[in-house]
Amino acid sequence: MPRSSASNNLVLLLTVGLAAWVVPGAGHILVNEKKRALIIFTAIVLTFGIGIFVGSVAVINPVGDKPWYVAQIMNSPMVAAIGHLTTTRGYAVFGWPKEVGQIYTSTAGLLNLLCIVNAVYLAYLRGAQKTGD
Amino acid sequence: MSPMAVFVVVAAFTRPEQIGTGPAMMLWVLPLAASIAIVYKATKVPKITARSFIKESAVLFGSIVVFVFVSMIVGFVLTWLIVE
Repeated sequence: MPRSSASNNLVLLLTVGLAAWVVPGAGHILVNEKKRALIIFTAIVLTFGIGIFVGSVAVINPVGDKPWYVAQIMNSPMVAAIGHLTTTRGYAVFGWPKEVGQIYTSTAGLLNLLCIVNAVYLAYLRGAQKTGD
Repeated sequence: MSPMAVFVVVAAFTRPEQIGTGPAMMLWVLPLAASIAIVYKATKVPKITARSFIKESAVLFGSIVVFVFVSMIVGFVLTWLIVE
């Protein structure tokens, strides 16, 4: 059943990618890399948290700062909810707190993107080993 | 902790912190460099053991900081040459 096996593998890859996006490090847990998952979760959540602490939730602005938002959304879908909150409540931030907050939250997002790709790649390798490719 | 609880905690940060604009501002690069080094090495090392992981992360962290410092010196010298 090669077609069924390929389809199962695709579902696994999608699940791992989605899990890694929803919670940083969750994708690595699914491929049984618990140490990596813990390190990734701690580092990304702390980096994102520092950005929010310094710049407030206003650094996530899907209307005024779209390029930054593209990187920030890679952290988790929860960022979209925070972005909605920022735009509807009219929170604002200026100057250095904005710069630092955006750099930290965006870097955390890009690091999570790296981890998503890495988790999917590990899942692909595990799938390939199982099928003997 | 449910996702809703996490959202409520994060959404509570509605006021930005006051941060200075002096040379100490450069220190903000350190936690970021540490985070980049740790996450990058977490995806790259074949097997994670405390000793090798800390060593490799520290080397990458040091490399980033040295590169930033050298870039800062080069930028400073170029600015000085243009202005003076």
